[in-house]
Amino acid sequence: MQPPGPQPRAKRWRRRLLTGLLCAGAWAGAGADEPLQFNRDIRPILSENCFHCHGFDSNHRKADLRLDSFEGATAPRKGRPAIVPGKPEESELWHRITARDPSDRMPPPDSGHALTEQQIERLRRWIAEGAVYQKHWAFEPPRRPALPRVQRQDWARSPVDVFILARLEAEGLQPSPEASRETLIRRVTLDLTGLPPTPAEVDAFLADTRPDAYERLVDRLLASPRYGEHMAHYWLDAARYGDTHGLHLDNERSMWAYRDWVVAAFNRNLPFDQFTVEQLAGDLLPQPTRDQLIASGFNRCNVTTSEGGAIDEEFRVRYAVDRVETVGTVWMGLTLGCAACHDHKIDPISQKEFYQLFAIFNNIAENAMDGNALLPPPWLPLPTPEQEARLKALDREREQLQAALAQAVSRLDYRDPAEQSPPPVPQTRETVWIDDEFPPGAEPQINPGTPPNRWITAAEGPVHSGQRSLERKGQGVHQAFFPNCNQPLVLGTDDTLFAYVYLDPDTPPTAVMLQFHVDGQWSKRANWGDPNAIPYGRAGTPEKLLQGDLPPTGRWVRLEVSTRQLQLAAGTRITGMAFTQFGGRAWWDAAGLRTVQDPTRDPGLSLQAWWEQERERKDRSKLPESFRACLEKPLGQLSAEERAAIRTHYLREVHAGAPAVTELRQQIARVQREKAELEKQIPGTMIARELDTPRPAHVLIRGQYDKPGEPVGPGVPAVLPPLPPAEKTNRLTLARWLVSPEHPLTARVSVNRFWQQLFGLGLVRTSEDFGLRGEWPSHPELLDWLAVEFVESGWDVKRLLRLLVTSATYRQSSRVTPELLERDPENRWLSRGPRHRLDAEVVRDSVLFVSGLLNLQMGGRGVRPYQPPGIWEAVGYTTSNTARYEQDHGPALYRRSLYTFWKRTAPPPFMVLFDAPSREQCTVRRERTSTPLQALALMNDVQVVEAARHLATRMWREGGNADRDRLAYGFRLVTARAPTSLEADVLVENLELQRLRYRADRAAAQALVAVGESPVPEDVPVTELAAYTLVANLLLNLDEFVTKN
Amino acid sequence: MTPWIEFAQRMTRRAFFKSTGLAAGRIALATLMLPELLRGADKLQARAHPGLPGLPHFKPRARHLIYLFMNGAPSQIDLWDYKPRLQELYDTELPDSVRQGQRLTTMTSGQKRFPVAPSIFKFARHGKSGIWVSELLPYTAQVVDELAVIKTVHTEAINHDPAATYLLTGSQIPGRPSLGAWISYGLGSESENLPAFVVMTPRWSSKRDAQALYQRLWGSGFLPARYQGVPLRAVGDPVLFLNNPGGVDAAARRTMLDGLARLNQMAYERSGDPEIQTRIAQYEMAFRLQTSIPELTDLENEPRSVLDLYGPEVTVPGTFAASCLLARRLVERGVRVVQILHREWDTHENLPRDLSLQCRDIDRACRGLILDLKQRGLLEETLVVWGGEFGRTVYCQGELTRTNYGRDHHPRCFTMWMAGGGVRGGLVYGETDDFSYNIVRDPVHIRDLNATILYCMGIDHRRLTYRFQGLDQRLTGTEEARVIHGILS
Repeated sequence: MQPPGPQPRAKRWRRRLLTGLLCAGAWAGAGADEPLQFNRDIRPILSENCFHCHGFDSNHRKADLRLDSFEGATAPRKGRPAIVPGKPEESELWHRITARDPSDRMPPPDSGHALTEQQIERLRRWIAEGAVYQKHWAFEPPRRPALPRVQRQDWARSPVDVFILARLEAEGLQPSPEASRETLIRRVTLDLTGLPPTPAEVDAFLADTRPDAYERLVDRLLASPRYGEHMAHYWLDAARYGDTHGLHLDNERSMWAYRDWVVAAFNRNLPFDQFTVEQLAGDLLPQPTRDQLIASGFNRCNVTTSEGGAIDEEFRVRYAVDRVETVGTVWMGLTLGCAACHDHKIDPISQKEFYQLFAIFNNIAENAMDGNALLPPPWLPLPTPEQEARLKALDREREQLQAALAQAVSRLDYRDPAEQSPPPVPQTRETVWIDDEFPPGAEPQINPGTPPNRWITAAEGPVHSGQRSLERKGQGVHQAFFPNCNQPLVLGTDDTLFAYVYLDPDTPPTAVMLQFHVDGQWSKRANWGDPNAIPYGRAGTPEKLLQGDLPPTGRWVRLEVSTRQLQLAAGTRITGMAFTQFGGRAWWDAAGLRTVQDPTRDPGLSLQAWWEQERERKDRSKLPESFRACLEKPLGQLSAEERAAIRTHYLREVHAGAPAVTELRQQIARVQREKAELEKQIPGTMIARELDTPRPAHVLIRGQYDKPGEPVGPGVPAVLPPLPPAEKTNRLTLARWLVSPEHPLTARVSVNRFWQQLFGLGLVRTSEDFGLRGEWPSHPELLDWLAVEFVESGWDVKRLLRLLVTSATYRQSSRVTPELLERDPENRWLSRGPRHRLDAEVVRDSVLFVSGLLNLQMGGRGVRPYQPPGIWEAVGYTTSNTARYEQDHGPALYRRSLYTFWKRTAPPPFMVLFDAPSREQCTVRRERTSTPLQALALMNDVQVVEAARHLATRMWREGGNADRDRLAYGFRLVTARAPTSLEADVLVENLELQRLRYRADRAAAQALVAVGESPVPEDVPVTELAAYTLVANLLLNLDEFVTKN
Repeated sequence: MTPWIEFAQRMTRRAFFKSTGLAAGRIALATLMLPELLRGADKLQARAHPGLPGLPHFKPRARHLIYLFMNGAPSQIDLWDYKPRLQELYDTELPDSVRQGQRLTTMTSGQKRFPVAPSIFKFARHGKSGIWVSELLPYTAQVVDELAVIKTVHTEAINHDPAATYLLTGSQIPGRPSLGAWISYGLGSESENLPAFVVMTPRWSSKRDAQALYQRLWGSGFLPARYQGVPLRAVGDPVLFLNNPGGVDAAARRTMLDGLARLNQMAYERSGDPEIQTRIAQYEMAFRLQTSIPELTDLENEPRSVLDLYGPEVTVPGTFAASCLLARRLVERGVRVVQILHREWDTHENLPRDLSLQCRDIDRACRGLILDLKQRGLLEETLVVWGGEFGRTVYCQGELTRTNYGRDHHPRCFTMWMAGGGVRGGLVYGETDDFSYNIVRDPVHIRDLNATILYCMGIDHRRLTYRFQGLDQRLTGTEEARVIHGILS
């Protein structure tokens, strides 16, 4: 097969390649005659063995000696300077590292560090060559290097390849031939979409003889919505995204809109600089859009707590530290966290500089305790357009009603009854609150596990009044109750609360109780019957008034309790009531209040009475702020102006004597209620918002929140370019600084991560650490070339990925010989194509995809697919709302793994087994292991076994009529290639064996195909389906299936 | 990470650079041979995964660790740290000279009073050593001569989540490998049929609302996932995904695995990637797990006399007693670390009632475990550790009566005990003041405790490191940690 020919762009590069300058030495390490380079050859030795005590950290520096700078190392000292350039013999360092005596020897033998002979020799040579220091490479801005000269002229397709080839030639290695087209399409489809190609897509690619068939394939993949989903799973590791708060109770949090934003951002190819700015500071952009606010949720992805007893400041500090560390790792490849407690031991980051960055992230307007809430503020509601329109309509309606109310009030001719003479006579009145129905606005409840409420008519049992009574029958304590009723009973001066009850003479309860909801509490109770049966409250107090024996059975009895006994003052609002029984059966009816109304003392009728009541009330939050100071005085002592304002407020909001006003007030309440209910249905997402006044920031001594040292303002480490001058230095300043072209790290760190995604290893292998201890890049010029290219392209991520996957380097075969394995075990020189196990999400998604089960619905709240029992229960705080796993059913079982609900203290087990991080903290590089537990998961997890059955069904239905054809089809579905004849033999033989087994044991066959919740196909004989299912299970366990080849 | 990086990190840098070519070849050869080794000869002690070269650093005192973690923080004052003088001080104010303005949780920092709540439980001397033990632990008291009781463990964390994370991972912030993962990484597995690090989370008896656990307490943090603790479960499959689906017996599975191995072998011949050989070996190990785990959990052959040691609940799956017996069976089979996490020791209120229930869950089984290990000669090579994430305050939280009280979190001193491999029995280490509030003598930071545990396992905590984020990370962190030689035999 002909590889596609070079494109115009590649041609241009080839010309440059021909005229390219010779690169100054590829990185084989210095040869014997080549001068040593500090960054490459010396710094790793010093930072590994010496900087811990003789480095940047001034507090822990020993013997006042620093070896991380030329000045420090050559400074005059008592005795010999540590380093005398050109003269190892006169350098104390040389004597110390070669000392025989352990007490003189450096590094000290008990430090756990030791130099090799080779390292000692290298240090000697470096001193002899003049001890030249270099600034750490990663802190110098990248410059586009010239292309190196290479011998082989027919291989490179792009500058990327030229750099790779130059290195290979220096190593005396050859690139591998191009991979087969089946391998290529599978590799690039997995890399760009996280799913394997379909046989049809493979066929189309094989049949496409156009020279740019591969590039067209790449463009198709980059345009697929699957692309953004796949890219998002890497990014969400870095962003430490989860669907729970992550600490202690680990309740659900609503952040999925942010996750969906990330998917969309990759899909619309949002330039990486904007991608950065919107996440770090979307809320600080001028007139931020809804999307930009959602993006700012990046800052809220850190784990949070609401553990009882936790100290606010301690956690506020932790959150800000987490944000600094995350930004350090994700954008700068710096381990800034090391400088939280002391100056960084390795990198030139002082503790003070850490807290300058901290000062930037210390100002998010959040509470330290998340309240275990779904949406700890600040958060953004996300209404649909229809919901938004309805909200607006409700607001308009409320405004109109309020205008009408104001007008109605202005028409009132009100005189306070307390000021009338003679005063009006008190009146007794009875209000029935509950009859046939709980009061409007009440939300009736029962205790979990107790019998439901049953309203019955006279045909079914005793009814006292109206049409119905409430029947309750059950064991032990059971209750019917409703709290927070918004049409409460308002108590008068000397009232009686009552309820009618009819006790079943055959099975009477042993005790009954009335209970009242006041100020959010259920602490007022009256008991009849066995005083010990219902255990709540202390007997003899209003928590548990003992009203005597159980009333007579078999007839309606009026239970009464006086508000005086319950110690409830006039004006108190009863917002709920509970009918409680211990065992037995009873009917309840007509409950309410007999009130003595004295208009002169009734806050609903007398302004003065109301004012006095408000003056005694502890909670003043419901009054307009402007009055609160007035509460110090009786009404009569206030100014006329104050009195007028209070009077208006009273008539509008409180006065109960004018039906027209009350009616309007109720309408307003209805509108507000409707709005509240609608708002409850509207999802939200946590976002960032900046405090108006920044919190003061200090250097925290030893990193302790309660040991503030010197105050600091916002800033960045001096080793990096300065922040641009700004009126306010905040997250936006920092974000823009990160993506400014002179920043030495952001572009390098980012392109390195994309490289790692495709090739398995970064050019800098420690993709989280570009500091002094980080690994030296395998191809420094290539890294810089890519970084500059990325920035100059306008931070175009798709373009960068296209550049990489269309390179000759990427397209190589991954086949490796033992010799090559010995020369380059990790494939750092890229003499072959990438081959490594797929990420957890890709494995599961591929299983679902090849079986035809995958549901491609995008976005929304996390779903809960199959999960073995007991995973959440084993760890969950019992009252957490994620203590018990309630699995979804139907299509939600088959969504892409990106949409699986992520509980951070117990993440999805399949994901964890395949090396997904817990998302409790930022991760930019996943481990990749191979374990027996992974094998068990792929063999036995319900979702894999069910998928195997569907894959079997596809083989049977779509694969032809012969076993061999069907098996070959299945093989192709999972590997994108046809099996060799030997491979087909193994499959056929395996199928035969399983078929024999299931023909002999039909029950076993039925049991196997019954795994999973999807219906079993009827057109495939069950023994055949079972045999094929187990072979499909084999296919889904193939190394080739779980590996990107 | 590719296996190659992992491999490189598992070697000391020096050894790696010296012998890269050679070592790579050797490993490739070893992995080539693995399937044959594993399949053919059960007699061959092919280790499931080897430890680091150079480890153990010195002769280990213990080869196994059983960690009995009491999540929620047991009250040292009511169990171990006997303070008879407190009886006279009932309901008096905790002197400021004792409290020294120490920070409190916000659950009690608003309390107007800090009344002294003496323990209502009786203490007595036990064993030859005459160590004081509370009446709540009558069985444990009988083996007190095997225990080193450390009364002066302390920590900085005052809330459960950070404190438990700190004790078991060395950091209050999530993300670090757990103690068991470190040991598994350093020493590898002795068993070819069982994981190196097994975790159990038995049920508990006091109030229903239990403090949470977190998988990070047995997680592998930045270490590769293979070092994470494997939960041995009482519901569902005993090990996740262990059981074949309905309708698939061992023979059918074997057929499938044989076909799989042949196809994977062909893939290896085609691609030359040694990782394929590793995968083949892992599938064989998985198959062996399918028989070794049922064998492990089958108590059929345990004699009555042994079962009786652990108490009547030992045959009820998911109890602490059953977990302890499994722990013994696990270490007997070469499992390196067993961690049992028992929940709800968080006695802010109703301490007398709840603590009694909790102790009843564990007391008899703790003794049973010690005696059973001992009679098999396993105790001398197994380190047993018991304790929670912090202690509890001498002052009462909430209402104090003669019969009831509660206690808040107290990080300044708490009691743990250790027994077995390398530990001197019948010993009390450290001393607290009359209020069990401050340490008077021999403080043991939880870092010291972890350094000591590693030491018993033959590991120098300063030298068991893993490069992550530019640092040689270690369990005991960057601060000073010292081995408590005073408790070692």
